[in-house]
Formats: sequence, C-alpha cells, structure tokens
Amino acid sequence: MGKFLASKFLQYVIVIFLMLTLNFLLPRLMPGNPLIFLAGEDVGFMSSAEKEAILEKHGLNQSIWQQYGTYIKHIFTGDFGYSYQQKRPITDLLMERLPWTLLLTGLGLVISTVIGVLFGTISAWRRGTKTDANLLTMFMFLSAMPSFWVGMILVSIFAAQLGWFPVFGAEAAWSNFKGVDRFIDIVEHLVLPLTTLVLISVTSTFMIMRYSMLNVLGEDYIMMAKAKGVKEKVIKYKHAMRNALLPVATVFMLSLGFTLGGATVIETVFAYPGVGRLMFESVLSRDYPLIQATFLIITFSVVIANFLADLLYPLLDPKVGK
Amino acid sequence: MEKQKWKRYWNVISSNNLGLLGISLLVIFLLIALLAPLLAPFDPTARVGAPFSKPNGDFLLGTNDIGQDILSELLYGTRVSLLIGILAALISIILGCLVGIVSGYYGGKVDSFLMRLVDLVLVIPFLPLMILLAAFIGPSFWNIILVISLLSWASPARVIRSQVLTLKTKGYVEAARSIGTSIKVILFRHILPGVIPIALSQFVMAASHSILIEASLSFLGLGDPFTKSWGTILYYAQARGAFLTDAWIWWVLPPGLLITTLVIGFAFTGYSLEEILNPRLRKER
Repeated sequence: MGKFLASKFLQYVIVIFLMLTLNFLLPRLMPGNPLIFLAGEDVGFMSSAEKEAILEKHGLNQSIWQQYGTYIKHIFTGDFGYSYQQKRPITDLLMERLPWTLLLTGLGLVISTVIGVLFGTISAWRRGTKTDANLLTMFMFLSAMPSFWVGMILVSIFAAQLGWFPVFGAEAAWSNFKGVDRFIDIVEHLVLPLTTLVLISVTSTFMIMRYSMLNVLGEDYIMMAKAKGVKEKVIKYKHAMRNALLPVATVFMLSLGFTLGGATVIETVFAYPGVGRLMFESVLSRDYPLIQATFLIITFSVVIANFLADLLYPLLDPKVGK
Repeated sequence: MEKQKWKRYWNVISSNNLGLLGISLLVIFLLIALLAPLLAPFDPTARVGAPFSKPNGDFLLGTNDIGQDILSELLYGTRVSLLIGILAALISIILGCLVGIVSGYYGGKVDSFLMRLVDLVLVIPFLPLMILLAAFIGPSFWNIILVISLLSWASPARVIRSQVLTLKTKGYVEAARSIGTSIKVILFRHILPGVIPIALSQFVMAASHSILIEASLSFLGLGDPFTKSWGTILYYAQARGAFLTDAWIWWVLPPGLLITTLVIGFAFTGYSLEEILNPRLRKER
C-alpha cells in the first residue's frame, strides 16, 4: 500500500515538475520578444527603465539555469507574478476566483456521480429492456453535446426568454445582500452553470457504473443470493451496487481533469467568476503570465484531488487495503 | 479470407441499428462537406444581407452580425469541423499505435517507461493545457490539429498495448518467433493486422472527441481565424450576445445541433464497432 502511494506521489511530483518546466520554457522559446509574453502587449509603451525593471525581476539578464531557479522559488513561495493587464498581483486574482470554481466543480462532481450511479444501476438491472436502451441513448446524446452550447441554450431558454434565473455572474452586481438573501442569490446564479456541468459530465459515470454492474450481476454470489430468495432490493443495492462502485471511484479521479476543463468553458458562457473564466479573460487580453498561472493552479488542483482520491481508495476497496 | 472478414464486419454493423444510423450520419456529413459549394446559397465570407436579419426567403437561417448568411456558414463549416476531427484523430491514433505496439511488443523497461508516460499525460487537465498551448503557439488550422493530437494519443495507446499483449501469446506469433522470423515481418504481418480493427474503433472515438475539443477551442476564440468552424460561429454568437435575443433559435441552436449530430454519428459507429470486436457484448444484448 505504501509502495503504491509512493509511486503515485512520485508520478504527481513529476507531472507538476513537467508542467512548471513547460510554463517556464514557453515564453522563452517562442519566437519574438519574451518581454511580451512576460509583461503583456503593453511593453511597447514602456520606458526603458520599466523594461529594465521587468528584466531584472524575471532575471532575464541571468543564465537560463539561474532564471529557472528564481522561477521555481517564486512559484513555491506563492508568487505567481504580476498581471500587467489587470494591474494586480496574480496570486490575489487566483485566490479571489478559486472558491467559485471549487464550489461549481465540487458540487458538479458530487451530483453527476450520484445521478450517474443511480441510472447506471437501473440501466444494468434492466439490461436489454426498453428502459435500458432509452437511458443509453439519452446519455450518449448528452456526452455528444458541446458543453458551452448546452450552457448557451439553457441561458437562452431559462434566463433570457423565461427570466427564471440570472443571465450571468455568481452574485447580483452592486447588491449588498447579507446572510440568507446572499445565499439565495448565490444559489440562483449557480443553478444554470451547475446543471450544464452535471449534464455534460454525468455520462462517463453512468457508462462505467452500468458496465461494472453488468459484470457484478454475472457473479456467483448474486446468483446465490437470488437462489436463497433474498429480496430484490437488498441484492440490488447491498450486494451488487456496493461492489460495482469501485471502478466508479477510479473514473471519479480521471474525470476531475475533464470536469475542471469543462468548467473553464462553462464559466466563460455564464461569466462565472472562477479560475476558468479568468483563464479565458487572460486569453482574450493576451495576458500571458495570467494564462500560465491559471493553468498551473488548475493543474495543481487536479493533482491534489487525484492524490486525495488515491488516499481514499483503500478505504473503499478492502483488497487494496490489506 | 480478408474479404470475408470485412463482409462479416459489415453484416454485424448493418444488422445493428445504432451502427447503421451512425454510418448513415457520417455519409450525410461527408456529402455536405464535399458538396458545400453547390448546396450553399451564398459565399459564406461575403456580406450579402443586412446584419442581424431574421430568417426569411433569402436567408433561411438569417444573417450574422456583419451580414453573412448563417446557413452558408454552417454548410461550409462542416468541412472544417470534419477535417480537423478526422486529421487530429488520425495523427493521435498513429501515435497511439506506435507507442502501444512498441510498449506491448518489447515489454520490459521500454514498456514501463511508456506506460508511466501515458499515466502522466492522462493526469494533466486536457482542455486547460490545450488553451495554454494554443494561446502561445497561436491559433491556426494546423496548430489546432497538432495540439489536439499531441494530447490525445495516451488512452488509445493503452488500449492498443493490451491488444498487442494478447496477440503476442497467440500460437502463430510464438511459432513465428521461434523459427526466427524477423521482427519486421512479425510486426507487420502478424501484429498489425490484429491491431487494426481496435485502432479503427479507437479512431472513430477519437474523432468524436476531437470534434468536441475543436469546437471548445474555437468557442474560446482560439480557432483558426481564417476558417470558420461551427465552434467559431458560436464564438461570434456569444460575443455578439445572440443567445440573449430571439436570434438564439437560428444562430445558436443549429451549429450546436450539427456538432452533436456529427459526434453522435462517430460515437454510434464506434459503439457498434466495439460490439463487433467484443462478441461478449453482442451476446449480452
């Protein structure tokens, strides 16, 4: 067990190290003035003293190895640099946006897993029936839809046409809601983006749960339970579902990256002030340091969540635990 | 023998409703892409009407913010989305086959190194990395294909590796090895033919993913500015606020429906191919 975790840990350290190196090299390897990538398009308007200060800060006058050392040191002390477009330290921007993304993706993952597991169980239990075929077709259609488009359609229908939900943002602008009112306001803003995220990410859980449940239902102990006359509900939920859940845990980990990626696009549609939207804004304004920082923070989140899932896995699977 | 095998595939695909539907959809889209100049009423790049026109006799799906015919844009957009999807999938499957075959056949240190690499690639959050790369190397037709395929080879590689592992233990491969057949002959005559069917189903699945990814990148403004795909059309619809007005019905709905249908076409085809390859699934139904 310890060996498994250690090798996983090593793997994640390598991922982070590689992504940091990629981030370090991108602005320095691209043709053109690296200053533009480090400080934004405004470089043309800067005085030579200001340029000198930026060169100094990133140590661009030093050797590449010294630069790399400085870069790594900055990242690990929580200094992601400065956004010259937004005129603010990037770390502040990230901290402001991160909670919203965690709220959206966290809830999205939990809800889509629950829905996927439930429908996957039903579908497998009624294998070969019309219910199964309908569910399969429906979930395949869901996974074929582009996430941002689902979001746009939901906004068009439920926000613009029917007016049931706000069109964008995470909170009403210029309102000073407190307590319960603020909570309701946040929930109202969350409904549509969350629905979109659940709709696009539910299929992978459903497919895996259905497949895993089909395998479990073929096992001898299920036959045995049936032969003994155990109640259908007990077989379904206690015997079969619990054992079929294991592969879902693996998919849960793998879908973290997908969900965070999906959130990037969905946050853009809803102008939801999360890290994904920040990444889009920085792409629009060609704010390269900010693009890199948002990418890094998303990668860190995925890696940390993966590792947490690895830690929890043995609790689910007694075979790994022993 | 080979011919019979393909005929059997065809029989299973065509006896399977989903597969037949999938292939028909793909054929229809292929025809639209090829015949776009004949089908489209206008040049999609020309300003032919008043901006923001509602659908009418001349413009069946209205016009966009600079007066281009949306229907013509959609018909021509089929070419871009289909081409990017297929090319990106093709490159990633070729990479996946290379890695999978080398890894599975040679085993040992090469195998464990390559599989570690696959694990690494699978952990990285896909879309954000693509956004980062696309932002730095700049949006263009080939860059998008490059970015998608460089990041999509990992899971096909794993599937193909496990197929190679199975093939390696087959009697005829072991026989060929024991009589000292050259590696080249074994790989090309014995391993590759066994890998191709799985590679085909992986390719179809990869194409459906690539189309969705291309749409997302274009929607984020990272698509090729000179070739309008369906995702690009939606980018403009979003940027001009079309989805907040009645225009959502003719400007936002159609491109998304087309993307969904094309992806479904690939997915259904892939699903039925998998059924052929995995007879256990077939019997269960």
